[in-house]
Amino acid sequence: MKVTLFATCLVDMFKSDVGKATVELLERLGCEIDFPESQVCCGQPTYNSGYVEEAKPAMKQMIDTFQHAEYVVSPSGSCAYMFHEYQHIFKDDPVYGPKAQELAAKTYELTEFIVDVLKIEDVGATFPGKVTYHTSCHMTRLLGVREAPITLLKNVKGLEYIELPGKENCCGFGGTFSVKMGQISEQMVNEKVQHVEETGADYLIGADASCLMNIGGRITRQGKPIKVMHIAEVLNSRA
Amino acid sequence: MQGTIKNREAFLGDIANQLGRERVTHVKRPKWTYNPQEEVLKGATKDELLEVLKLQCTKVHTKLVLTTKEELPEILANSVEAVGGGPIVTWKDKRFEEFGLGKLLKEDLPKADVEVFEWNSALGKDNIVKAEKANVGITISEITLAESGTVVLYSSKDRGRTISFLPTNSIVIVPKSTIVPRMTQAAKILREKIKNGEQVPSCINYITGPSNSADIELNLVVGVHGPVKMNYIVVEDL
Amino acid sequence: MSMKTSSEKFKVRVKNQIQDSFMRGAVASAQETIQGRKQTVTDELGNWEEWRNHGEEIRKHVLENLDYYLYVLSENVAKRGGHVFFAKTAEEAGQYITDIAKKNQAKKVVKAKSMVTEEISLNEKLEAIGCEVIETDLGEYILQLDDHDPPSHIVVPALHKNKEQIRDVFAEKLDYKNTEKPEELALFARQTLRQDYLTADLGITGCNFAVAETGSITLVTNEGNADLVAALPKTQVVVMGMERIVPTFEEMEVLVGMLTRSAVGQKLTSYITTLTGPRDEGDVDGPEEFHLVIVDNGRSNILGTEFQSALQCIRCAACINVCPVYRHVGGHSYGSIYPGPIGVVLTPLLGGYDDYKELPYASTLCSACTDACPVKIPLHELILKHRQVIVEKEGKAPFSEKILMKTIGMGTSSPTLYKMASKMAPALTKPLSTDDHITKGVGLLKEWTDIRDLPAPNKERFRDWFKNRPKGGKE
Repeated sequence: MKVTLFATCLVDMFKSDVGKATVELLERLGCEIDFPESQVCCGQPTYNSGYVEEAKPAMKQMIDTFQHAEYVVSPSGSCAYMFHEYQHIFKDDPVYGPKAQELAAKTYELTEFIVDVLKIEDVGATFPGKVTYHTSCHMTRLLGVREAPITLLKNVKGLEYIELPGKENCCGFGGTFSVKMGQISEQMVNEKVQHVEETGADYLIGADASCLMNIGGRITRQGKPIKVMHIAEVLNSRA
Repeated sequence: MQGTIKNREAFLGDIANQLGRERVTHVKRPKWTYNPQEEVLKGATKDELLEVLKLQCTKVHTKLVLTTKEELPEILANSVEAVGGGPIVTWKDKRFEEFGLGKLLKEDLPKADVEVFEWNSALGKDNIVKAEKANVGITISEITLAESGTVVLYSSKDRGRTISFLPTNSIVIVPKSTIVPRMTQAAKILREKIKNGEQVPSCINYITGPSNSADIELNLVVGVHGPVKMNYIVVEDL
Repeated sequence: MSMKTSSEKFKVRVKNQIQDSFMRGAVASAQETIQGRKQTVTDELGNWEEWRNHGEEIRKHVLENLDYYLYVLSENVAKRGGHVFFAKTAEEAGQYITDIAKKNQAKKVVKAKSMVTEEISLNEKLEAIGCEVIETDLGEYILQLDDHDPPSHIVVPALHKNKEQIRDVFAEKLDYKNTEKPEELALFARQTLRQDYLTADLGITGCNFAVAETGSITLVTNEGNADLVAALPKTQVVVMGMERIVPTFEEMEVLVGMLTRSAVGQKLTSYITTLTGPRDEGDVDGPEEFHLVIVDNGRSNILGTEFQSALQCIRCAACINVCPVYRHVGGHSYGSIYPGPIGVVLTPLLGGYDDYKELPYASTLCSACTDACPVKIPLHELILKHRQVIVEKEGKAPFSEKILMKTIGMGTSSPTLYKMASKMAPALTKPLSTDDHITKGVGLLKEWTDIRDLPAPNKERFRDWFKNRPKGGKE
């Protein structure tokens, strides 16, 4: 199975381990990975701030970059969702409209791809530890991927899964919201960290690096002993 | 008597303008794509609906008593006593007589020193004074909604609206035959009346239990501006 | 009061509200309770999505044919002897209603809860001509007594007040001598207001749903106050937002049930009442004179725009009850009588962007609101649209932000520029870092690093690792 990786700018610059884990995991599950270098950013930060025209060049760049792909897989629910949004953003564009629709039809978030396309629910991973999981708004409510990550986690050997209270509550990132509305973002991330602590888990897992950066950044600032990891890293763990 | 309408044409013209078209003068009520309300308690028998009603009443602070036409006078008298007796106000409604309550309301209760005032439109505001001082208001349900535990009352010159609101306690006589699944059926019944040329009552009350409020710290308090206690007397053979 | 409830700056309001620990506890607890009740009562139906689709199709159809349905409504109200006034502006509505009060020499006015009457500052206008105006909804009554404290929620307006505060308000303003127990406070309100209903000259209500086919208006309460307001005074005025209308009783009952389930988790509230015109010949109670004031106040400007779906709103507050931002900042932070997601969408549309330009940014676009809305308003999409309008049409985005976004836009569309920038990033941010974390951000980053660490850019970017590893990556 040929998979074209959409790594995301955050992973590329800040969380390359997540990219590595994604590649290794998918290769082990039988995929051949290619990574088109012309990919940069899905355009979320500019688009969600209301700058549509400024965001379009980056989006077109992405549409062109992934035109050749059979399957586009991304370790980010929000970025994968953005690829699905392109078809609405370009709906009046006679060239990019159809291209965007094609892209949407073949773009998957990582766990969604593993469960729904590869039809694998146990990736053969081992990860001993008490784990809780934050579901990320875009992936959950907008992309509609709820079951896949939990199914995969529950089949990891040695992993004890504890449900996070308010798991679908927003963590307070929201892109520029986290800096424009810092006071409010602080309250939201505090609530999230509190819920994580209530579970007694050693690890907080998520499938979106932006949420993890937000919650993880708060956790380290508060000096709490909870480790924050991306689900790709957990699923790529071996005995 | 025809009421007045002011400033309509310009107002509606603006709306049509914004919608990018001329004024629309006829719209057929659409055949809706979705009709989930039709499925609720579909096909349930009157007995099944009664069971639903009974259960629902326990959730809406309403005491429901089941009886027969024969026992109705006694049950009504007991219900009145249970909430502290009179004074009572009732609608002027021939059904009270038909239900066998004539003697209780016109003779027995007054003889026992329980004042029973029958709404009398000729007495104007005095009716309201009586309702305000009453401990019990007694009315009759036209349609009864099982799903929500709701009675439906129509106002008229003989059936004052305020009997359902001013007295401290409320007792509603519910003929079992009036029980339907939910408001869906009530709406259809009313639209049927309109089609047959009847006028919609100027006030229709859909009442579910006593009055309440959760405005203070989301704490439910029962008995705010309307009655503090609600009783339904369901009559099996009416 | 009008729609605008504060002249303080947004950031100041938010700062103050975040520090109100009672409010925050009350709001969080209320959200949990109401969400839970709504979940139970919609799960019971088993097909809530179908209901939402039906609710949406009804509301969409009505908006597309709003002129027709308002025409039919007005004809039918007039046939029953009611008077209909179409008020394009808040001023016109206020003028008409104060004229009625003057004509009837009304001194005492009782009111049931109505958001649109607050929007048009009706109470102040009546007070200015010498009327005593009494709010009868318990929550609104408390706020009115407390020197017109603005509502913080559209269904439970006094949510931000605890029972001790309420007791103190009653004691100070009404000589109340009992305890803070809600039952006692409510009983006191019942006794005090009872006399007001009986002696009022004019009753004013809102309208949850007007029914075109019969010329009826529908009132939805738990307290029974709206019914007394409508039944006892000689003159009644109903004020309705022009979009609050349905074709027939059949659509009314669908939406009423969805409103009560979404707003308070009840199958129906204690009192649903349809009123059709003034009292009939011979009636003893009910108003002798009935007026329906249909208010535009900016709503028609929303029709025919990308924001039209905002008018589908049935004012259930389901969106407010799930919003994480609202949970932390409360209703007063929004500076509008309409808080939460629907407030963010509606307030700038009715009141312009000048006073409300921060609101569309007070959201993470988490879309919990869109999911919760019983009539499927795409709230988070409309919030994003406001941002687009602010940037493009209004040109109100901060200059520095515009430059930043243009730069990011350019950088992210050019692989070459991006590669350069991302290669430089680790070196650029080293001075700000401790270990692997940036702890002291500058400029915009400072907002982040004030409360969070930021991972420093990796020394080896992912793309470099991928390029340089042995092909196939076999271990």
